[in-house]
Amino acid sequence: MIEILRNLTRRKLRTGLTVLGITIGVLALTTMGSLAEKSNSLIDGGVRYFRDHVSVGAASNGGFGGILTIDKAKDIEKVDGVQAACAATGSSVKTDLDLSFSFGPGDQVTAEQPGCQQYSTFKFSYASGHPIDDNGTGQVVLGSDIAKEFKKKVGDSMELPQPPKKFNPDFVSHQFTVVGILDKTLTAPDNFAIVSFKDGQTLFGDALPTALKGHVDPTQLATGINVYAKPGVDLDKLANRINDQVAGVKAIPPSTLVQAFQAASIVLTGVTTGSALLALIIGGLSVINTMLMAVTERVREIGLKKAVGARTRHILREFITEATIIGAIGGTIGLLVGWGLTTVINVAMTNNNQAELFLLTVRLVILAILFAVGLGALAGVIPAARAARLDPVTALRHQ
Amino acid sequence: MARIELVDLTKHYKQGKNLVRALDGVSLTIERGEFVSVVGRSGSGKTTLLDLLGLLLKPTSGRVVIDGVDTSDLRDGARALMRGERIGFIFQEFNLLPTLNALENVMLPLRYRRGKDPQGKARALQLLEAVDLADRMDHKPAELSGGQAQRVAIARSMINNPALVLGDEPTGEVDSETSMQLIDLMRKMNRERGVTFVIVTHDMEIAGRTDRMIRLKDGHVLSDERVSMQTAAV
Repeated sequence: MIEILRNLTRRKLRTGLTVLGITIGVLALTTMGSLAEKSNSLIDGGVRYFRDHVSVGAASNGGFGGILTIDKAKDIEKVDGVQAACAATGSSVKTDLDLSFSFGPGDQVTAEQPGCQQYSTFKFSYASGHPIDDNGTGQVVLGSDIAKEFKKKVGDSMELPQPPKKFNPDFVSHQFTVVGILDKTLTAPDNFAIVSFKDGQTLFGDALPTALKGHVDPTQLATGINVYAKPGVDLDKLANRINDQVAGVKAIPPSTLVQAFQAASIVLTGVTTGSALLALIIGGLSVINTMLMAVTERVREIGLKKAVGARTRHILREFITEATIIGAIGGTIGLLVGWGLTTVINVAMTNNNQAELFLLTVRLVILAILFAVGLGALAGVIPAARAARLDPVTALRHQ
Repeated sequence: MARIELVDLTKHYKQGKNLVRALDGVSLTIERGEFVSVVGRSGSGKTTLLDLLGLLLKPTSGRVVIDGVDTSDLRDGARALMRGERIGFIFQEFNLLPTLNALENVMLPLRYRRGKDPQGKARALQLLEAVDLADRMDHKPAELSGGQAQRVAIARSMINNPALVLGDEPTGEVDSETSMQLIDLMRKMNRERGVTFVIVTHDMEIAGRTDRMIRLKDGHVLSDERVSMQTAAV
């Protein structure tokens, strides 16, 4: 083992470059992979969120810009299989156009009619504080990402929506008190600011285009209706029934959304992880090259070892171990640099009031280490086999 | 200690279209504890003979019998094991591993033995003492003179208590004064430990210090004689 480690330092530059090749590959794998993992977690969140209920929006997205009136909820509740139809509002936390690169829907102020949480299978747990008073005003519960982003804790006050960077004379905001912060769910609610339905309607009304403001009654408005089904009712079929029986709404079958999310997830994971693995395989080729050169340089040493009793498996083991160590060193450095890089970028994004980009999961760390070590070992096989096959007499007399 | 019998030993190579008869029907017996030199011009077959004795080559025909064990039927793995446990090697160019220090080089053959050898390190230290290099055990080969390096190699050849030590021009790379010190050291090992030595050399002064000189020519034994005290004195 001592000899193997010293052999690695015989050609420091060459070993260093080879380790660098693996490092870059693993770095690519950890960064690209954690990008994919983050989007997957958001997508999973979307899947779980949308499997829970049928989302109903306005029939046409033109005209009123997808605005519903809450009386539609009453109509939907009459449809067979519906347990509850809850009007909901959603509006942006930030008023600036968010051009940042983000996989999630962005920070959302969400609100649902009082008493609707009980129907959802998607239960919230609280890291601190308590739920909002459904019928009150001025209270907000923050998702864990949003709380981190704006550095808020229970008892703090928060302006919603957040003021724009450029002065806007039409801008209106309201003061809220943070009453609770959710546990991290790794899903959509991490980016939610949950307010009472009344407040949700107010915020939504404020955000309406000026031309509309005088003509509608904000207390009758909703951006969507969350329909919860009775147990055992197929949500896709329910969505179709709603479309057939209620005029002026569009219910989206959850499986359509889920399929769209999952297709996006597969493509993204494939592209990012695939390119990273490609980088790593190129690193592996450089290990093969380095080890072949090492075998050529050490022909006489191999001959000597065979003369003093080394059998084929001893020589194989020594060279494969050396290649594996190159892989392990490169993998460890790549992983540490990747971890550092993704952490730094995530912190920078959060400080900039933007969502985190990377999620370095345990399975990704294990994948990266296994891949680097496995690739090193695999890359060592061909050179080691060449070394082990050497004829001792020829090897000993090699010039 | 080993009694070695070579029975009608033949080694032919193909070199292009020509058949090279490197060794052609050599029969010899080497007794336990003998110190034998093999001399002859280059191409006489002396190195081939040594490679066959060291189980590094397989004969075209004929047998090498070491202590009653016919080695011709042994597979590669068994030959490697026998080399490791029964035979020591000393080479012209020392062949020490550059990354290992003197002590680690002496201990190298222990790595390939069957099972651990708890006394291995103690024996290596004692052997370095015997070749007068105890104070150099931490030195790498690059920090040793030619004579010192070859003394490390002699210690290495003895680490597994071999029956037979083979030397391929063991004094070929050092000056004549060092040559004499090295041959004296090998003779001391031969006498004190009863190990059989067979060395190939072209240096008649070295050959004169051995018990028996085998002269090869064109793959045949030209002469095989006891070295008289007069020859030794020359």
